[in-house]
This record gives sequence, structure tokens and C-alpha cells, in this order.
Amino acid sequence: MDEMEMKTAYILPTGDEIKSGIVLDLDAPEIMCLIVRAFPQAEVTRLCPLLDIEDTIFQKISEVAEKQPDLIVLIGGSGGGHRFSKSLGKDFTHSALEKYLDECASHEIYGKNGHMWSKLVCGRKGNTTIINVPGPFDEAKAAFEAYLGALSQGKSLEDISLDMANAVLAQYPTGAAKTV
Amino acid sequence: MEHEYIIAHADKSVLKITGLEVKGLNTKQLEQILADKLHTFVRVIGVTGENIEMDVYDIEPEQVRKNEKGLVESIVLTEGITVTDLTKISCSDKIVEVDYDKIPEEPISNCARERWMKWK
Repeated sequence: MDEMEMKTAYILPTGDEIKSGIVLDLDAPEIMCLIVRAFPQAEVTRLCPLLDIEDTIFQKISEVAEKQPDLIVLIGGSGGGHRFSKSLGKDFTHSALEKYLDECASHEIYGKNGHMWSKLVCGRKGNTTIINVPGPFDEAKAAFEAYLGALSQGKSLEDISLDMANAVLAQYPTGAAKTV
Repeated sequence: MEHEYIIAHADKSVLKITGLEVKGLNTKQLEQILADKLHTFVRVIGVTGENIEMDVYDIEPEQVRKNEKGLVESIVLTEGITVTDLTKISCSDKIVEVDYDKIPEEPISNCARERWMKWK
């Protein structure tokens, strides 16, 4: 994708609670708004939310990527989720993305308790860039704003991923963070 | 593929509200209402039709527990929440720090906590 141009983008929310309407999807409209502000001519499509099933997410990414859009944004399912707590949702967007992408960079944010709070993946398939953002509104917005900022500077996948992770990290009240 | 790990050094507890009727929840509004009430940072991490689970940062769990009635009253105004007679609030103890040097490597699991628990 030309760093300063975006013609088509797909937003793909995930989460059983989003699909069922138990939780309002606030993230997709915000991300759509951010894309349109940055790229007034972009056509942005918000797809039907997906259930938290890794294969379902994988298949949908494959299907959408065949249309060769400039960008696909997956929302939610970025943490450790069910791996950490039985009462939490199943988080599969990062694992589905990593299975699908040939070329990608990722950053994982862990709490001091060892729980993976968020994993952000940024990659490419052909000319399509595919990223994920966390579900919480402030984190999704911060991550996507960081993506747009990095994109405008023509940064590498690795640096885009790092900028997005740092933007999410900044949403936590952390005194210190270290990269390992 | 490049992978990096970042460790966030934040204290948090898990605040759980059970016995609700949830439909069309505005998570942003709920986080703001509770943040104003508790004077701290709140993040919704899990929602079902009856329960809401949240991370609350930098607060003593006891402070949340003793404020249960006030918290339930405050969330009544949140879009998408109906409080019932069964509504209750619980709050876990603060998270326990693990020693990252002692966590086994993959491929046991992608989650370090899980690897740490299995190792332990």
C-alpha cells in the first residue's frame, strides 16, 4: 500500500458479546471515523462481527483478503482471555492472524502476573496490510491512531507494531515497562 | 516473524458484577462512571448477559468491597445495564507478581501465566 493512500479498508469486529449485541460495538465506528479523517476518499466497510472461533476468524480473514483491500483491521480478542480465566472470552485474533500471514511483526504486552494482556500483530499478505487492535475502546483507538501515525511516516511492520504496542501500553497506569 | 515482549508493571484487581441483565452495554460509559466513583482507572474485560468483569487499577480491593452499595447504585444509569435484586459486586485480591525468569518457554502455551502455572 502506498503509505499516503488508502482506498479500501475492512473493519472486522470479533467477539460473541459484540455479535449478540450484549456489548455495543463502539470501536468500529471510531476506527471508521479515523480512517475517513485521514483518507477522505477511502471506502470503509464494517463487516458482521465474528464469533470467537479461531477457524472462523481465519476463514474470514482469508475471504476478505482475496478482495485485496489496502487494510483489514480486526478488533478484539487480542489478550490471553480464556487461557487465563475461564470467565473471560476466547481470544483468537492474534493466533488466527499469525497462522494466516506470511510476513508479520508482533508485540506482546504482559502484566506482572504473567498474563498476556494484549498481543498486537501487524502484517502483510500481498498488498494488503492486516492489523489487530484490542477490544477496549481507549486501547483500540490509541492503537489505531498509532497505526495511522506510523503509516504516514512510512515505518516498517516492526516499527508500526511497536508504536501500536506502546500506544496501548500508555493506556495502562503503569509506572514502568521493559522490553524483553 | 519478529516478536517482542513488553511487561506492564501495574497493580490491578478484578472487579466482577454479577446478577445483571446486560444488553447493548456501553462499555465506555460504564468505565467512566466507575472511574469517577472509585477515582481510579477501570477497564471492561469480559461481558456476558448476566455478568461484567473489569480490571481496576491501583486500588485496594477492600475499598471496592466496602463501597458495593454505592457502586451498584452508580451503574444503574449505564446504557445497557439493568440491575436486579441479585446484583452483587466482588473484587479479587491484587494480582501476584511472577518471576519471568522462571517461566518455561513455548510451545507449552502462548500465555506466560499458563506456562508459569504449569511450571509451578
